[in-house]
Amino acid sequence: MPLLPFYIASAVAAVGLLYVLRPNKPSLRRGGAVVALAGAGLFISEALRLAGPPSAGVPIALLIALVVIGLYAAVRVITHPRPVFAALYFIVTVVASAVIFLLLQAEFMAFALIIVYAGAILITYMFVLMLADQGPRDSIGHIDDDGDYDRVPREPMAAVLVGFILLGTLAAVVERIPSTAVLAESSLEQKVSRQQADALVMMPKHLLNIVKRSDATAVSVAVAPNASIQGSIVQTQVTQADGTMKNIAVDAAGKIDNTQMVGLDLVARYPASLELAGIILLMAMFGAVVLARRQIEFGEDEVRDAAGLRRIVLDVPEHERAIPGGRQ
Amino acid sequence: MTHLLAVSQYGASHAVTITLAMSALLFTIGLVGFLVRRNMILMFLCTEIMFQAAALAFIAFGRMRMDTGGQIFVIFILTIAAAEAALALGLVILLFRRKETLSSEAWSELHE
Repeated sequence: MPLLPFYIASAVAAVGLLYVLRPNKPSLRRGGAVVALAGAGLFISEALRLAGPPSAGVPIALLIALVVIGLYAAVRVITHPRPVFAALYFIVTVVASAVIFLLLQAEFMAFALIIVYAGAILITYMFVLMLADQGPRDSIGHIDDDGDYDRVPREPMAAVLVGFILLGTLAAVVERIPSTAVLAESSLEQKVSRQQADALVMMPKHLLNIVKRSDATAVSVAVAPNASIQGSIVQTQVTQADGTMKNIAVDAAGKIDNTQMVGLDLVARYPASLELAGIILLMAMFGAVVLARRQIEFGEDEVRDAAGLRRIVLDVPEHERAIPGGRQ
Repeated sequence: MTHLLAVSQYGASHAVTITLAMSALLFTIGLVGFLVRRNMILMFLCTEIMFQAAALAFIAFGRMRMDTGGQIFVIFILTIAAAEAALALGLVILLFRRKETLSSEAWSELHE
């Protein structure tokens, strides 16, 4: 039963989370936080144990610190009694995951995440939170439980149970990862160099710049006809300033960084998805405009103004008019 | 020079495993938050936590296979998250104007 430790860890985390969700009992909440953290730690350490002994070059301590920060902030998002603070804690989660992206060599996405999530989306949330600010609403005379809906959780027991089941299911996936790391180191290395060579062939300007580093007289470069790419080596045909042609082998390994790869693949491999994403954004904009539009009821005077007609002036004393104000 | 911080090993199975475990925990926290929170804006914030967890998993799997597909899918996740935020917050504003409260329970009966 290899999944049993994961289930135990999930149960511990779930019980801890249940106590964290208790309002108005600071001591219980603190204890719950410790228990939940212990559960999460168990979960991660069990996953690590399955991954075998760590090799050099993996900053495990840094990663674990980031995971703890990110998870703690996420728990604060779902428990903090003040919405604005919850949104700010979400930024902490975003930044922690951005640094994890950096560690996993997704540099472009790390910064895109900070700019788009922490910069744009969260600011939108902040605006709406401020716009729909609650404040002392009771003075106007509302009699619902307004003041408590940020503090009192809804059905914590059922929610935590659902979370426990979900975590147990996900554990089955996490447990299988070490054994499904299908590609061996050497074949991954081959795959990467092949990718870089293929990408370099599609970037003639970049290729020319690389060639110019070794041969300053080159004016144009083309991939040599019927030359096969071997490993990361690309055979090229270089035209020099005096018109002579020359074959040069260019090693693509390390010449193309992650951001260039992502950009190239985005337009070369997934052009239709890119267009679809644009359409989705456009539709979201239309939807937001339609939703946010406020219905303005025009009175008869405004309607007549818009139609270029004269306003109807009734020659009737104020108190004898059928419709007060003449509108609606 | 390029990767001062980055995990140097190719398969990076440890970093990938830790990230996937975090992704699972984060998704669960997001789901529990969505069920537990009663403020409509914060319910949508919890869906953003779930998006975040999915993005982490995509990056981790992309790193495991040394494939840019994972990162590119995260770009689309960001797109969908932005669209969702715009629409959801528009709806929340609309609902807030009707009942002057953000509590989702004010809408538990569909008629007004």
